Amino acid sequence: MVNQFVTVLENRKVNGQFYKLIFRCRALAKHAKPGQFVNLLVNVSYDPFLRRPFSFYRTIGDRIEILYEVLGRGTALLANKKKGEALKVMGPLGRGFKRIVKNKKRILVGGGIGVPPLVFLGERTVVDYFLIGAKSYKEVLPAKELSRVHGKILYSTNDGSYGAKGYVTGLLEQLLRKESPQSLFIQTCGPRPMVQAVMEIARQRGIEGEVSLDETMACGVGACLGCVVETREGWVPSCTHGPVFAFKELR
Amino acid sequence: MTPDLTTKIKHLEFRNPVAVASGTFGTKDEYASYMDYEQLGAIITKTITVQPRQGNPMPRVCETVGGMLNAIGLQNKGLEDFLEDKIPYFEKIRTPLIVNIAGESLDDFRILAETLDGYKNVVKAIEINLSCPNVEVGGATFMRKKERILSVVKTVRQETDLITFAKLSPELGDLNEIAGLLIREGVDGLSLINTLKGMAVDIEKRCFRLANKTGGLSGPAIRPVALRYVYEIKKAYKIPVIASGGIMTASDALEYLLVGADLVAVGTANFIDPHATGNILCGILDYCRRYRIARLDDLRGTLIDIDQ
Ligand SMILES: Cc1cc2nc3c(=O)[nH]c(=O)nc-3n(C[C@H](O)[C@H](O)[C@H](O)COP(=O)(O)OP(=O)(O)OC[C@H]3O[C@@H](n4cnc5c(N)ncnc54)[C@H](O)[C@@H]3O)c2cc1C
Ligand SMILES: Cc1cc2nc3c(=O)[nH]c(=O)nc-3n(C[C@H](O)[C@H](O)[C@H](O)COP(=O)(O)O)c2cc1C
Ligand code: FES
Repeated sequence: MVNQFVTVLENRKVNGQFYKLIFRCRALAKHAKPGQFVNLLVNVSYDPFLRRPFSFYRTIGDRIEILYEVLGRGTALLANKKKGEALKVMGPLGRGFKRIVKNKKRILVGGGIGVPPLVFLGERTVVDYFLIGAKSYKEVLPAKELSRVHGKILYSTNDGSYGAKGYVTGLLEQLLRKESPQSLFIQTCGPRPMVQAVMEIARQRGIEGEVSLDETMACGVGACLGCVVETREGWVPSCTHGPVFAFKELR
Repeated sequence: MTPDLTTKIKHLEFRNPVAVASGTFGTKDEYASYMDYEQLGAIITKTITVQPRQGNPMPRVCETVGGMLNAIGLQNKGLEDFLEDKIPYFEKIRTPLIVNIAGESLDDFRILAETLDGYKNVVKAIEINLSCPNVEVGGATFMRKKERILSVVKTVRQETDLITFAKLSPELGDLNEIAGLLIREGVDGLSLINTLKGMAVDIEKRCFRLANKTGGLSGPAIRPVALRYVYEIKKAYKIPVIASGGIMTASDALEYLLVGADLVAVGTANFIDPHATGNILCGILDYCRRYRIARLDDLRGTLIDIDQ
């Protein structure tokens, strides 16, 4: 496993809300799968102190891309990193999304900063629909960022400033009217209320799928038991058993 | 010449003094793809209890300045799983294994000590967790009664002659006094210190950051406090001490060694850097070379007063 310093190649805003970080790390890029993540040490410092987990947004050769939103001190410091500065990365961590969904239509449902791992998945597999929910146009990704996704992309914004007005679950329900549940496989990541609503829709109709959960983490390797999720097998670390879980594993 | 870092506690020999602290290094092979476990002086495992424990509700961890709060609540898979899954794994690793135990009753401690006594080929010592701040029963609150602590140590002592450490936290009361009583009860060493109980508030959501409300504070924030306890206990008693509390670098570890610590257990630092223990070990070796210290024993406990 990789635990090393890397150099920032690029770090800039891609829209009104998200930043893109690019660095080079051959060992990490070689093994990174959609849904897996890196535990990133922005600075060796006592405040902020812990690492921060980020999903792979994309890998191209030995280049790794991360898409992130500034939420607090760690991500604010990250946004200030300049080309040539160092970061420490650890990974690839966790279990990613299923890449083979035999004979089923793959529907990706992403919201907010839950979109990056699904973009990676959409570039590495074939998807039928990629539904993306955003608060407003500020969060909408430039077309260039999504040009390699193999599938139809539909946007919704809460304020109607781009795509359909409303929640992404509205798009999902519309789509489900035309499709038979047994033929679908949903993969989702986003804010907790959104993924819960998606899972509830899937449960009611008997649709299988997977969700990437966002738990607070410390170690990222299953050592601290700080990130556990309740599954049918009991409380398991999300960083090693997840962050991607099958709907049916969760209670 | 390579400085000799060999550390002896009773008949047990450690290749070097750098250990990993309970609950911060997983239960088995979590860090095995990042480092060689045989480079460690000792491995102290996550607390085990007789029955599996599911632990506390989420969120269980949060970051603080120079540290973190945790309220894991002793989640573990229990004794049976330890014997079936963990013992065979550690049997192949030559680093001395120290097994940390906790119980909800004297009977629990009796069962744990008696059972582990049967695995002396793998288990080299026991560390009794008398100080978890995050559980109602068996934790620091339960243990606050001096008689209870003493009876736990007495029970373990009756069941096994394995080297036995008692892990303490200032939450228990006057550590100096408790240490003295435990030594009389026949404990072989002390582990100082477990986490300090703390709290954090999310002002945006106006709620506790941890579901358990309070948690154990670890990391560099507690180091000066831990250092003071190791110093005071080592000064008062001739008892081996495993020091833990915010050891991030070799210089932190050296502070503890200078006040007399026998082993230095690296905890939260593992989360920040899985290579922390290796870096600390290299740093201690460099220091010894720089000051021409041939044996770590020539350095340990050699703190002097400030030159006036
Ligand atoms: C497996 C995994 C993958 C992730 N992938 C990405 C990604 O690709 N891009 C990205 O931008 N973020 C991602 N995150 C979330 C990211 O780790 C957090 O946004 C980051 O840790 C916040 O750090 P901070 O120091 O800026 O915020 P802090 O100062 O730690 O917190 C600031 C505020 O943000 C809130 N917050 C902190 N962490 C999270 C969180 N994990 N989710 C929601 N709110 C949080 C806190 O409650 C607080 O109110 C991922 C998280 C996980 C567990
Ligand atoms: C997440 C976490 C879990 C811990 N679990 C245990 C445990 O199960 N048993 C125990 O005796 N100590 C436990 N500890 C305490 C550590 O072993 C150590 O004594 C303490 O964290 C101080 O060292 P540090 O500051 O280097 O982390 C835990 C600490 C942390 C941070
Ligand atoms: S973050 Fe430590 S167990 Fe998952």
